[in-house]
Amino acid sequence: MELLIQSLIYGILIGGLYAIIGIGMTLIMGVLGIINLAHGQLMMVAMYITWILWQYASIDPYMSIFITIPIVFLLGQGISKFLLFPLIKKESILPENQVLMTVGIGMVLVEFARSLFASDYRSVRTGYSESSIHLGNISLHVPLVIAFVIAVIFTFALFVLLMKTDLGRSIRATAQDREAATLMGVSAKKITIFTYGLGSALVATAGVLLLPVYYLFPDVGPVFTVKAFVITILGGLGSPIGAIAGGLVLGIAETFGATYISMGYRDAVGLVIFILVLVFMPGGLKQLTKI
Amino acid sequence: MNYSKIFHVLFVIILFVFGLSNCSDDNGPIKIGVLLPLTGSQANFGEMEKNSYEMVKEKINSEGGINGRQLLFVYEDDTGKPDIGRTGAEKLINIDKVPLITGGYSSSVTFAACAVAQQYRTPFLVNTGSVDKITQPSEFNLTENDGDKFYIYRLNPPVSEYTSGLESLLSEVVKPASVFILHENTSFGSEGAESFKNICEKNNVKILDVKSYSAGAIDFKPLLQNAKNTKPDIVYMISYVMDAALLMKQSREIGFMPKLFVGAGAGYTMPAFKENAGIASEMVLSVTLWHQTLPIEGALEYYNNYIKKYGGEGPDYHGAEAYAAAQVVVDVLKRCDNDYTPEKIKSTLDKTDINTVFGRVKFSSYNGKLHQNKMSTYVVQWIDGQLKLVWPENLSNAVFSYPIDWNQVWK
Amino acid sequence: MRVNNLHVFLNFEIFILLTAVAAPFIFSFSPYFQGLLIFVMIWIVMGTSWNLLAGYTGLVSFGHAAYFGIGAYAAALPYFHWGISPWWGLLTGGVSALILGYLLGKIVFRLRGPYFALGTLALAEILRIVFGEEIWLTNGHSGILYMTTWVSKYPYYFVALSLAIGAIVSVKYVMRTKAGFFFLSIREDEVAAEALGINTRKYKNIATAISSFWAGMAGAFYMIYMGFIDPEVVFALHNISIITILVGILGGVGTIWGPAVGAVIMVLVQEVFRSSIFGLAPQWVAKFHALVFGLLVIFVILFMAGGVVGDWNLVTAKFRRTKHAEKS
Repeated sequence: MELLIQSLIYGILIGGLYAIIGIGMTLIMGVLGIINLAHGQLMMVAMYITWILWQYASIDPYMSIFITIPIVFLLGQGISKFLLFPLIKKESILPENQVLMTVGIGMVLVEFARSLFASDYRSVRTGYSESSIHLGNISLHVPLVIAFVIAVIFTFALFVLLMKTDLGRSIRATAQDREAATLMGVSAKKITIFTYGLGSALVATAGVLLLPVYYLFPDVGPVFTVKAFVITILGGLGSPIGAIAGGLVLGIAETFGATYISMGYRDAVGLVIFILVLVFMPGGLKQLTKI
Repeated sequence: MNYSKIFHVLFVIILFVFGLSNCSDDNGPIKIGVLLPLTGSQANFGEMEKNSYEMVKEKINSEGGINGRQLLFVYEDDTGKPDIGRTGAEKLINIDKVPLITGGYSSSVTFAACAVAQQYRTPFLVNTGSVDKITQPSEFNLTENDGDKFYIYRLNPPVSEYTSGLESLLSEVVKPASVFILHENTSFGSEGAESFKNICEKNNVKILDVKSYSAGAIDFKPLLQNAKNTKPDIVYMISYVMDAALLMKQSREIGFMPKLFVGAGAGYTMPAFKENAGIASEMVLSVTLWHQTLPIEGALEYYNNYIKKYGGEGPDYHGAEAYAAAQVVVDVLKRCDNDYTPEKIKSTLDKTDINTVFGRVKFSSYNGKLHQNKMSTYVVQWIDGQLKLVWPENLSNAVFSYPIDWNQVWK
Repeated sequence: MRVNNLHVFLNFEIFILLTAVAAPFIFSFSPYFQGLLIFVMIWIVMGTSWNLLAGYTGLVSFGHAAYFGIGAYAAALPYFHWGISPWWGLLTGGVSALILGYLLGKIVFRLRGPYFALGTLALAEILRIVFGEEIWLTNGHSGILYMTTWVSKYPYYFVALSLAIGAIVSVKYVMRTKAGFFFLSIREDEVAAEALGINTRKYKNIATAISSFWAGMAGAFYMIYMGFIDPEVVFALHNISIITILVGILGGVGTIWGPAVGAVIMVLVQEVFRSSIFGLAPQWVAKFHALVFGLLVIFVILFMAGGVVGDWNLVTAKFRRTKHAEKS
């Protein structure tokens, strides 16, 4: 029983991080209609920026959110403006051209990081990064708790943005029906570019929050890209609430898989759930939440 | 019209490359191939080993080279992947025409690349790859009597012998009743776990469980929680450096306090382990093949020179292995009578018997292995942020800190 | 394509074939270059196999490593357990991949567009993890080693060449039949194709069967030639699945010769940079091999969406224009 509760709590904490990775992906998939296979790589870029700020300017990782996120937001906007958006108009046999473009972008980001920082592992250590809170037999790692709280705040802010502002409504409208939204006077170009920037900024947040608990190297991204699309499908395309639920479900499922099945199969758990959802519940958890 | 131009250019390029690859110069440098992971997740280790090779090269060349010729190490990056390692070995043999390959970091890469060297009848002096099968001729369709057909030599002990030093410490001092084994699911990890299991069975230590994980996980707590609930006396872990750091950090987080944490070399002796695990690295024990304070001629000198040249925390046993391999290369080439062919180098390797910074190197056959250098291993412990040699007692430079009050250490 | 100018077309194919046969002899001075040629052939098989599924049938697979890996293990496992020569893999490799393709099809054919892509990707990843964990069956991450039969590259090259020819010819042949026509109609509009009474499931299965068969053969050959596999190598997401796609994209999807051209470019770019332009440039150039390849991919998608072969007219037009400009 104790083990069960512990696993549940560890799963929820990790799930909070996964959720914020997933939200970025779900927005991009919803609005642009593409799988962003450079998602984890954008996170890697954010982690390097955070690490540089910590290493050379002694800026606390959580404070660097205010610098890292705008930079990655602009990077994302640039990518979508110059590399992804032009493809929408291009005639091509495969509609997946944009997806393949993100593969290319991901490769370039990774290799660029490798040429600058080599393949060395980096990590940040702060006063609190090794402390934990104890609740009975359960210990909570402080950086993970902070990450969870910030993830919740960001999710809430995003929710307000999407629900209460014109920009947010335009994004949701484009995600639901691109053509109709264009007819209603929404600039598809502007929204496309902005959304990719927003998605990048969200995954950058995840990167900043992850760095104090994990470590950093150029190839850190792909694992998280896979997790991101698992969460997206689990939650349902374009649904932030679904992504939160998806992130938590994945986090808990993985932790339970690692506890009760085997640590080696940990990554397979998410993928199996993913296939099951794709086949038996194609709309994802969105079907249940309706948002 | 257009085509002919292209073909013309291509032809010239081919001729050019052809010409370059075939210019063997009798007075030019002697080229020796080195296969190491210089990019990818094992680049940390590869870099340390490359630096050590370069130190030997610079030393020998400034002293006038080998019989008047300069020594040149041609590095090939295996990126930590067996298939790339094989292509790299082929390139070294076919393009660079090296008569000898050394290096070989990860077990699986080394094993796969050795098969190439064996096939091309080019000697391969392994300095780190540690799975047992690398020097087992039966794996290469040969028998123990085929020493003259077997081109693989290994300077470091196989993984099954990593724990020989630890064994006496456990049986004489710690006397654990139970052990929990954690290992990464690579060949190094699973074979290391297997041989430690045998040792435990021999010494009547109860094995509570053996669990594997895949490298690069974020959250080891489920695994550690399971381990914690079985209340083991000692935990034996086989991991590379970042997993090692996370395992210890998270053990501390969940308050997992066995009598001892023991690492199986690899990640646990690296300076990067201490850097990343911070206070959680304190008092962790590890098997090691080398320590700078061992009474080996040149060991401390090498350690200090390395820090002088490259800065940082100084090398661990991986660097010493590489340095020793380079010393063996120099020694062999000097004894080759200017005949730098694979066959001559192989027969010279057979007669090798020198003292290196890693200890005495002499290739012998035992336990179904051929061309294996036999040596003893040691136990180190992180004490006050320093890696101290604690076992065997007569060689140690610090007192083995035991029993350990984790609440105090991890404060 | 210049179909009406059959004469020129035939000549072109004979020319390519002769060049391919002569290639290893031209490079006889270096087994290393011959090795690169063999890799080109492996990638031609993989690219052509993927192209039939993605380029002609519109089923963009992100998990071709699944078939490649199964083929490789079909060759390796009998050797590992019973000492049966991996060469039998050239019989079993393709067939096991074909069976796997059929089984996976039962799952992924329910999915469309990006979901299909993600589904194939996830299945390949699951296979990679399972083959790494089930040590009793596969020897796990320790992999399976086999001392290859010959040191000489010639026999391997000609086996690989035959596979490449087989793959290209079979795709070319099937695209001339009725089935090929149905493939295209599925790609263009699956719903419309179904409305016209085409059994889309059946034709998707046929396309998958041919595609997975060749990918499996490539995998089996890889085992025979390289003599070493482990799950991370043969089920690799990036190094097999993604690279296969990039080979197809570079050369041109939906063209017969596209994947072949893509394979040549891919191996050439990777190797030229990895070896620091054959040792002529300083060693740091080698660090950029993947970066250059990534930039190349971005460039091609941005400016030559049809790939080198698909947009060949565009390429030649550019050249002619510059020539023209030079003259004036």
